[in-house]
Amino acid sequence: MANITLSSVTKSYGAVEVIPPMDLEIEEGEFVVLVGPSGCGKSTTLRMIAGLETQSGGTMKIGDRDVTTLRPGLRNCAMVFQSYALYPHMSVRDNIGYGMKVRGVAKPEAEAAIANAARILNLTDYLDRKPGALSGGQRQRVAIGRAIVRDPDVFLFDEPLSNLDAKLRVEMRVEIKQLHRRLKTTMVYVTHDQVEAMTMADRVVVLRDGVIEQAADPITLYERPANQFVAGFIGAPSMNMLDGQIEDIDGTLHFCGPAGVQFALPKDRVPALISYVGQPCVMGIRPEHTFDTGGTGPSVEIEVVDIEPLGPHTMLIGLAAGAKFTGQVAAGTRAEPGERRQIHFDLDKLHFFRAGDGRAIR
Amino acid sequence: MSVRDLSGNRRWLAFGALCLWFLFTIFPLYWVAITSFKAPPDVVGGPTYLPFVDFQPTIKAWTDLLSGLRGEFYSNFWSSAIVAVSSAMFATLLGAMAAYALVRFPFKVRLLSGVLFFVVAMGGFLLGRDVLGIAPASASIIAFTGALALSVFANRFPLPGKVLGNDDIVFWFVSQRLFPPIVVAFALFLLYTEMGKLGFKMTDTYLGLTLAYVAFSLPIVVWLMRDFISALPLEVEEAAMVDNVPHWRIFFGIVLPMSRPGLIATFVITLAFTWNEFLFALFLTNSEWQTLPVLIAGQNSQRGDEWWAISAAALVAIVPMIIVAGLLGRLMRSGLLSGAVK
Repeated sequence: MANITLSSVTKSYGAVEVIPPMDLEIEEGEFVVLVGPSGCGKSTTLRMIAGLETQSGGTMKIGDRDVTTLRPGLRNCAMVFQSYALYPHMSVRDNIGYGMKVRGVAKPEAEAAIANAARILNLTDYLDRKPGALSGGQRQRVAIGRAIVRDPDVFLFDEPLSNLDAKLRVEMRVEIKQLHRRLKTTMVYVTHDQVEAMTMADRVVVLRDGVIEQAADPITLYERPANQFVAGFIGAPSMNMLDGQIEDIDGTLHFCGPAGVQFALPKDRVPALISYVGQPCVMGIRPEHTFDTGGTGPSVEIEVVDIEPLGPHTMLIGLAAGAKFTGQVAAGTRAEPGERRQIHFDLDKLHFFRAGDGRAIR
Repeated sequence: MSVRDLSGNRRWLAFGALCLWFLFTIFPLYWVAITSFKAPPDVVGGPTYLPFVDFQPTIKAWTDLLSGLRGEFYSNFWSSAIVAVSSAMFATLLGAMAAYALVRFPFKVRLLSGVLFFVVAMGGFLLGRDVLGIAPASASIIAFTGALALSVFANRFPLPGKVLGNDDIVFWFVSQRLFPPIVVAFALFLLYTEMGKLGFKMTDTYLGLTLAYVAFSLPIVVWLMRDFISALPLEVEEAAMVDNVPHWRIFFGIVLPMSRPGLIATFVITLAFTWNEFLFALFLTNSEWQTLPVLIAGQNSQRGDEWWAISAAALVAIVPMIIVAGLLGRLMRSGLLSGAVK
């Protein structure tokens, strides 16, 4: 077990800098998820920790060891790949035990480690099969087994569940979490799926263009996003954003937006927003904090584009004066595309962002 | 569309056409086979087609061949087999290594250092032979070793001019096969005789012929294996790297087994070349390591066109290749990679 320290780590391909200087401290035993849209540098960061990608600058430490220039094999990491990366010509047993065989681990000891990993991952009955005769979930379990017997300082996961179907993904998610609880080893996990990030992580690191937008526990990310990007990325369906401005009408602060949105701001938000009077800003409200009945709160009029009955509730996807706006309404609500609806929202759940750089206003 | 989708008359039509094509391709083999069992009058007296009907088969040609009446048959067969198999195996292994390096590691060769090699090697050889009066073999060995060391050293510096990458290196490999082999055969013969004068007997030796075959097979092996290896998933090797598996073990323990179908296909193609090769064998061997193709070609000059004898010898050359292709063909099937990724 070890902590990982990235200090001003950079990565450039020729003149293109994909990761500007990045600082990140991952605690011992922590489960950190790197999340972001494709091309945000999350996989590159993980591969730099593994040593598969050389870093262009900065220093990397695992525990007390400076591993910046160390080759992958000496970093004592174990990595699980999206594509499983099993040795196709070896049985499951040999796949899991190959690293130990190469390192010269004694045979009884290796057999015990393989048996233990197989027991944890429910692979005991499949030990003599080739990877080609396994299902996707079993293959990924073999890859995880190969990582477990390494007894690493750090586990690295590179989108390990992306090739699995939705149901299996949820199951494997739980298994990996249980594995972390059992082994208590530091884990770094890369995914583009924010649900995976939220459900698994002790701490989520949201990346965009190689820059850490916010690193915090899942609930903080959800409730107090640092900026408009994080607010839009975390949560599904994503947060509704309305451009407008803060105005002082008869001594009370109002938010004036498109599609007839105009309402007095709650008292507790006034101190933060008062300095933005007369300036454009962005209001955000999550779909799950909207409703269509009991119309006391402020509301926005949307033109329905599509309707998604999900069972527990129904999503109305619409446009509010050209801006996409999704409202969560009661199950069984019926609406036709083109119809106009009033969607109300919860005043206590509003988010405000600066119009220019998208920083959250608090 | 597949032939299986056809129905009725069209199916029979396709079947008939395929039968015709089969007869067309099998006929030469059939002709060689029956000719080897004919007596001389049956061959020279106009065509005869069916054994026991048109002519009475005889095994005279075979007993002549196997008893050694027609040259050192057994010795030629074994030297052919030994040289062909060992050089094909060595070329495939060596070429697979080169191909792996060319796929996985980016190389930079500065054109100027290549030119430097050529100039120093040629200049040094001429200087040594004509001015200093060194024996040609020694002069060329000294000049080429020096030039190689110098150009490798020079390549470390930022020389001006074009920088060649992996694709250029592969093209350079393949280009070795573009010029006529006779050019190389002459040069090799001269080189080998010069080395013989220094005390290394190369002509008519196992080493001499095998090295020539390996060198001449390498381009095609590198070219074929490069495609096979670049189709392998990189993640599997990365997983091994993270697992602290040394690079040579990744190559022998993971890359080679994964590219087994490609290795076998390449081996068979190379074997076909080394087994059938005639020109080098003719130039570089004379008695001890003479190969089968040379023996077969010799059949028609010793006593005129004795087709029955030539046919028997040709069959001996054909049958082992058919057996090898049949045995190894099963192993060439793809699908070996399934389960590695996705």
